Amino acid sequence: MVQNGVELWRPSTLIVDSSGSEMFFSINDARLRIPSRSRFFAVFVALLIISVPQPDYAAERPVSFVNEVMPVLTKAGCNVGVCHAKAGNGQNGFQLSLLGFEPLEDFEHLVKEGRGRRLFAGAPERSVLLLKASGQVPHGGGVRLEPSSEGFALLREWIRQGTPYDRDGDPKLVSFEVEPARGTVKRGAEQQLTARAKYSDGSVRDVTGKALYESNDKAMAEVSERGLVKISDIVGNAAVMVRYQGKVSVYSASVPLGAPVENLPSSKSFVDEQVFANLKALGIPPSAVCDDATFLRRVTLDIGGRLPTEEEAAAFLASKDEAKRDKVIDELLRSPDYADFFANKWTALLKNRRDDASDTVSNFAFHAWVRDSFLANKPYDQFVRELLAATGTVIGNPPVAWYKRVKEPKQQIEDVAQLFLGVRMQCAQCHHHPFERWSQDDYYSLTAFFSQVGRKPSGTRGEDLIFHKRGIAVAENMKTGVPLKPGALGDAIPEIAADEDPRLKLADWMGSKNNPFFAKSLVNRYWKHFFVRGLIEPEDDIRDTNPPTNPALLEALEKHFIASGFDLKELVRVITQSRAYQLSEEPNEHNVVDRQNYSRYYPRRLQAEVLLDAIDRLAGTQTDFANLPPGTRAVALPDNSYNRSSQFLRVFGRPEAESVCECERVQSSSLAQSLHLLNAPELKAKLATPTGRAERLAKEDKPAEAKVRELYLAAFSREPRPQELKTAIDYLNEPGTAANANYQDLIWALINTKEFLFNH
Amino acid sequence: MTDFVFNSRYCSMLLAALFFGASLGLASPSFAQSVGLPAPRLLTTTPMGAKVGSQVEVTISGEHIEDADELTFSDRRITATRKLNATGQPEPNKYVVTVAADCPVGIHEARVMTRLGISSSRAFSVGTLDEAVQTKANTTLATAMELKVNSICNATMTQRAVDHYVFEATKGQRVIVDCATRGIDSKLDAVVIIADAVGRDLLVERRGGVLDFTVPTDGKYVIKVHELTFKGGQPYYYRLAVSELPVGAPIVRLPSTKPVNSFSWPPQGLKEQAELAETEPNNDRTRAQKISLPCDIGGSFFPAADVDVFEFEAKKGDVWWVEVASERFGLPTDPSILVQHVARAGDTEKLTDVAEFSDIPSPVKVSSNGYAYDGPPYNAGTADILGKLEIKEDGLHRLQISDLFGGTRNDPKNVYRLVIRKAAPDFAVVAWAMHMELRNGDRNAVSKPLALRGGATMALEVVAIRRDGFDGDIDLAMEGLPEGVTASGLKIPAGQSRGLMLVTANQNAPRAVGSGTLFGRAIIDGAAVNRPCRLASFAWPIPDSWGEIPSPRLMADVPVSVSGLEFAPITVSPPKEVQTVIAGEKLTIPLLHTRRSEFSGAVLQLRAMGSGFDRTPQFDVSLTADQSQAVLDTAALKVAPGDYLIAFYGGAVAKYRHQPEAVTAAEENHKKVMQELMAIEAEVKKLTEAAKAAATEAKPEADKAVEAATAKQKAAAAAVTAAADRLKAATAAAAPRDIVDIVVSEPIAIRVNPAEKK
Repeated sequence: MVQNGVELWRPSTLIVDSSGSEMFFSINDARLRIPSRSRFFAVFVALLIISVPQPDYAAERPVSFVNEVMPVLTKAGCNVGVCHAKAGNGQNGFQLSLLGFEPLEDFEHLVKEGRGRRLFAGAPERSVLLLKASGQVPHGGGVRLEPSSEGFALLREWIRQGTPYDRDGDPKLVSFEVEPARGTVKRGAEQQLTARAKYSDGSVRDVTGKALYESNDKAMAEVSERGLVKISDIVGNAAVMVRYQGKVSVYSASVPLGAPVENLPSSKSFVDEQVFANLKALGIPPSAVCDDATFLRRVTLDIGGRLPTEEEAAAFLASKDEAKRDKVIDELLRSPDYADFFANKWTALLKNRRDDASDTVSNFAFHAWVRDSFLANKPYDQFVRELLAATGTVIGNPPVAWYKRVKEPKQQIEDVAQLFLGVRMQCAQCHHHPFERWSQDDYYSLTAFFSQVGRKPSGTRGEDLIFHKRGIAVAENMKTGVPLKPGALGDAIPEIAADEDPRLKLADWMGSKNNPFFAKSLVNRYWKHFFVRGLIEPEDDIRDTNPPTNPALLEALEKHFIASGFDLKELVRVITQSRAYQLSEEPNEHNVVDRQNYSRYYPRRLQAEVLLDAIDRLAGTQTDFANLPPGTRAVALPDNSYNRSSQFLRVFGRPEAESVCECERVQSSSLAQSLHLLNAPELKAKLATPTGRAERLAKEDKPAEAKVRELYLAAFSREPRPQELKTAIDYLNEPGTAANANYQDLIWALINTKEFLFNH
Repeated sequence: MTDFVFNSRYCSMLLAALFFGASLGLASPSFAQSVGLPAPRLLTTTPMGAKVGSQVEVTISGEHIEDADELTFSDRRITATRKLNATGQPEPNKYVVTVAADCPVGIHEARVMTRLGISSSRAFSVGTLDEAVQTKANTTLATAMELKVNSICNATMTQRAVDHYVFEATKGQRVIVDCATRGIDSKLDAVVIIADAVGRDLLVERRGGVLDFTVPTDGKYVIKVHELTFKGGQPYYYRLAVSELPVGAPIVRLPSTKPVNSFSWPPQGLKEQAELAETEPNNDRTRAQKISLPCDIGGSFFPAADVDVFEFEAKKGDVWWVEVASERFGLPTDPSILVQHVARAGDTEKLTDVAEFSDIPSPVKVSSNGYAYDGPPYNAGTADILGKLEIKEDGLHRLQISDLFGGTRNDPKNVYRLVIRKAAPDFAVVAWAMHMELRNGDRNAVSKPLALRGGATMALEVVAIRRDGFDGDIDLAMEGLPEGVTASGLKIPAGQSRGLMLVTANQNAPRAVGSGTLFGRAIIDGAAVNRPCRLASFAWPIPDSWGEIPSPRLMADVPVSVSGLEFAPITVSPPKEVQTVIAGEKLTIPLLHTRRSEFSGAVLQLRAMGSGFDRTPQFDVSLTADQSQAVLDTAALKVAPGDYLIAFYGGAVAKYRHQPEAVTAAEENHKKVMQELMAIEAEVKKLTEAAKAAATEAKPEADKAVEAATAKQKAAAAAVTAAADRLKAATAAAAPRDIVDIVVSEPIAIRVNPAEKK
């Protein structure tokens, strides 16, 4: 939309747009940007333009509905989902296709619907379309096109020409590019983008003013409606997605800090090489490698979902073994804690949700299957294959439980695509994906893989036996009615015979070495697990228009993962052994602004279950979960049902397993969390329990110093600093209070530190 | 969304509750009634098995077995005697079981004879490993029970706990850990884990398989066992075997009971071993295995997504019968077969589907395990295959067999047997105690043993799987019945699959137990054939079908008993002689009621069972009258002339009194001990007075006598208290309570004569 537009001459041809510090002259498709301080120059240019004879639409060429009218409607926001492209019947009976993906349908709606009353060739400016769009008559969507705007003029001219539709031979949009495609931009600087559309007749048009722009990280880069990118003071890589008529292009900006990068830690593997190369390129000096205590606590929390025990911490700190970090990683990967913690992560994403008591057995079985798979280090492709192509009964083959939760083929492919491929296909069910190349055919071709899933009653209420139903797999495109054979996101799938389970073919495709999504999606997800931020964010929205912040690293991780035979433990090993993972969270003078290049560790609050277990460990207590053995850890809970009885888990955001998105887990802080930690009865009871640590320490006959050391090792995996030790002992020695109360207070205080609540 | 889900669930529960209430209201005015007259049920034996050639002490528990006497086994080479205490008196519920050296290894049925008759069965294993018994809690690593390699432990799972065992092994040793649960009637879905010495899990098995563990280093290893959802208690028992096996040797699983649907395998005369083995690779048309028909092939659904392809030549008009067994071996498979005709022209092939085979459907509707009873919870059908293959064109045919459940599973133990034969018409039959809707959700009555009360008739539902086009009548018969018990088979009519067997104990039948044998009999191709009928039952009574899915199995034998002490609440007796009627006319049958109980409700709604008359509309008979009549309209029922055997059945709520004779005995005992107490009190009084009056030198002696008498008095008082408690318990048990159960009349023979032609 034009802001502060001033009409100088024929309103459709010359627009002066002075928004902020910039000024544009636009004549049809040509644009000239003039700094606002050059007012004199501006007036000169304006006069010059006025003196040039302007083209006449009617005399020169007919207005193209597809190539010119549609972009105006799209740019004006008429055909977004909340307006006239709303599913159902559009807005107040006037429907347009989403973002103009169906021009012919839009033409029919505009020209023929409503008995043609929307357009009036006799007096084009009196057309309902223009009167509404310009706000001259009441319009729920407000003013979308100023009467003085170029778009308004174009629509008026098209109406005047008799609302023609494009002829067969008219040029078609074939490609679309943004320039520059990438570049290095200083912090606080600006970059004007130019969008060019190339047509089938070889012509190229500047469509900068008609394209749509969206930054993938608004904190780093903002972009105006006319393609001017403004970089903030955050360093790293940003991308701007530019869309035009169903085509998408992307501008990638590298925003360096430019500080000297010296004394990099020695690289442990390709991970460090790529992380440090990126930091060097951006001029961001990394923080130092963290100390042993921080490392042990961090890696134990990240792999095992628990705090190190005091004994583990003491032994690790005392060890002089140079390989002790690598060894502890291996030890953690061997332990069932790893399997429990990652099963907790995956079962929520795989919707292991209890809605009824009769779900109990299947949920336990499914959780156990996931957990055992991680314990046995089942290759990831095999794990996914067993899930996708599950057959039989839940007890006999627990991944069948996924089919109990996710029943419809559409839901199945949407979940599979998002979770295992990092591709969000939901949009393509009803229309072409607005940011991606996925069409409805792609969507239904993927659905076809699940079209032959047969179900038989199992004898257990709510559970079906799942089997492959013989037949040729097809799914009908809901819009066109055309039956489609299985197709995997643009990749050709060989003919699938009626006897072959198409899901196995999908699994074959996913696990093939050349699959562009499968390994990438997983390594990005796991990278995020350990580094808080994915190389692509959100981690399940991988697309050309959302490039990774470190493409070389992502590619290297992907290759390593595939070469390892989809070995998840090896992936965790290579990530956690890296110096990059072991950097301190303490920023140096330069890298405090870095939020995406991993120049330091980004602290993260402990997940709900991990925090509850950590508190139990420190307080020397156990949380009792219904019908589970005493001592069951919160990270080992099989499903979401325990959230109902645990206010703690709810307050700290344990997911309900309703979504395949990791975002369902709430990691943000809240007042309720603070209050809970400060004075919830549950916490008080843990501190005061007669079998708890406070009571034991109060009774134990050993020096107070040793007891404080035990507490610090248990809470932070480190020795107390001299001042901390003194403060603690002074407090414990305060007269007039019972010893057990003092120990309770001390533990309470430790729990309420950021050092305890965060993995850092 | 969440709210909607919650609300809709809430609504469903409310509706269910309303429905439940309404159903109860229809069935009976009483909400407190229970389902099924007391039946003796042996629920556990501890231990659950014994080593062959050994003697072991066994403790039993169950329902209505307080007065159990003899413990018997389906194999006579296992015997039991009551365990006697120090005074030579039998200890309650304890037996000494002797397993002869020649007793076959495997599962045998254990039962006890009680006041009510023979109990339901409990699987009793006989094996070759040394037996151990879990004697104390072992729910932590610290309390782990030591287990020797090559031994088997009998244990009961603790609720919300993990049982721990520890064994010692050396590097390279191959240790097999197997856990028998469902296969020995336990409710346990076992999770078995091998962990290192500090309890960190190494190998896990949750699907009833075995753990095949190669010991990485010398040392101790821990086995953890728990229920999948951490349930526990008496019904959740197990036998955990740890044994050493040479590398490469095949694993032999612990013995297991057989699923119900296995009754239909094998076909008569089939050899033990298949004649031919599938030869991999035979996964596609280019590598199809050549066979000729008939054939008998053994194969395996291995590796994952395995397809075995066979090719054979056949002639137009040939008819073959294809049968596959795999699920009936107790395997989690679902075989599927496709047969295609192959027409080759050069390098191209034209394939035409000839037949597709999948499941053998249950001949009768199987329960959906919902709240209302909608069919027997026994599935005689199977995921295996039995079908007719009609060749439509001469030439090459290709048959491919795959496992619809085998897409991702890599287990060579998932085997199959494929038989293609010329028609060999035959049948297989299975029976189970007939059930009907008595009260929603309660399946308690379906696990009844054949323990008859005097005057009772019990109905068994008999279901046939017909082979290779046999569609004639199947008559049902039973032999080996104890004195005073008769059996009448309501035949499986031609072309149908369901019949009934009525087992009746006359009122005066003496207390006894017999080993019955059930048969199906038919004329096939002019020859009489006799096929044994297996009996199926549940391992546990199921009072709540929503909380528990039944898991029935086949029984090894069919014992039939008569209580001799308790009688049916009512006997509905038609005349013994054949009732005759002319086709098209109505037949009125007088029914005599022998009532031995009060009833809740005034009428008994009766329905007819038996071919020809089972569509008779339900009719009411009075529960207070001594007789009634049934009117059968042969015109409305369109009954053809012939001989029929039918019975009537319905549900009645009896005011059942449990063991009223125990009240009399308890009263008498109470009276006796009271008298003894009074006598000793008088004695104490007398001795006390004597002691008071005694001279100094006689005083110690007199005091001693008082002391001794006082001790006797205390013992007598305790005996009175105990007798009072017993009386109270017996009186409470004998108090009338509403129990709904199935009432089946004695059988009625009917001859329908043809109408005279006018």
